[in-house]
Amino acid sequence: MPQIRTAYLGELDYADGTVFHFPYGLPGFEHEHAFLFLKQPHTEPLLFLQSLGNSRLCFILLPILVVDPNYAVNLDAEDLAALHLAPGRQPKIGEDILCAAIVTTGSVEQGEPTANLMAPVVVNLKEQIGMQVICADSPYSHRHPIPMGKDAAPCS
Amino acid sequence: MKRRAGESFTIGDEIEIEVLEVAGTRVKLGIVAPDSVAIVRKEARVTREENITASQPVGPDALTALAQRLWRQAKTTP
Repeated sequence: MPQIRTAYLGELDYADGTVFHFPYGLPGFEHEHAFLFLKQPHTEPLLFLQSLGNSRLCFILLPILVVDPNYAVNLDAEDLAALHLAPGRQPKIGEDILCAAIVTTGSVEQGEPTANLMAPVVVNLKEQIGMQVICADSPYSHRHPIPMGKDAAPCS
Repeated sequence: MKRRAGESFTIGDEIEIEVLEVAGTRVKLGIVAPDSVAIVRKEARVTREENITASQPVGPDALTALAQRLWRQAKTTP
């Protein structure tokens, strides 16, 4: 079984069948085409999008419905085709696709973690093809505040 | 500045932008610019910059703290 050194989860074995292909990479990382989705019990619901080609490159993601339970997917015909999804209808989160937002932990201006809801990572679960979909007409922000519990204590 | 379809304007000596088509709320533009000038949709540029910021390594404590705060949020939401 192939092994990978990850940015946050140490060394891991992975099966070839668990690799997700990103034909266009991600904006800013166009040459990274293969990623693993990882998670660990003590940091759930966070997801880790770990690059296979660059062990230091790992994005922290949140399932989009965790950030906004009412989030509505809006993929255009080109996006659907690129992801090999059925044309003419929006895919269902959790059934057809995984949809997650990239988290920026403490952006410079705000100091609080934010999630990019304007450009979610969308993955065709059956075909294991993914891309970051940039929604031009999106009503969502690229720096959407992440919901936080008010009783959060800094050291518990 | 107001332009109609078929009219154009220039930025500096080397960049020309023509309004090709106006249909409803969408405008189709034609751009002539040197190869050295990158032409990128604003939202793509914003996403690129945000991805680069997001790719910076995060300490394990920050990760755990973030997950814990989310977890508390989930438990208090009916």
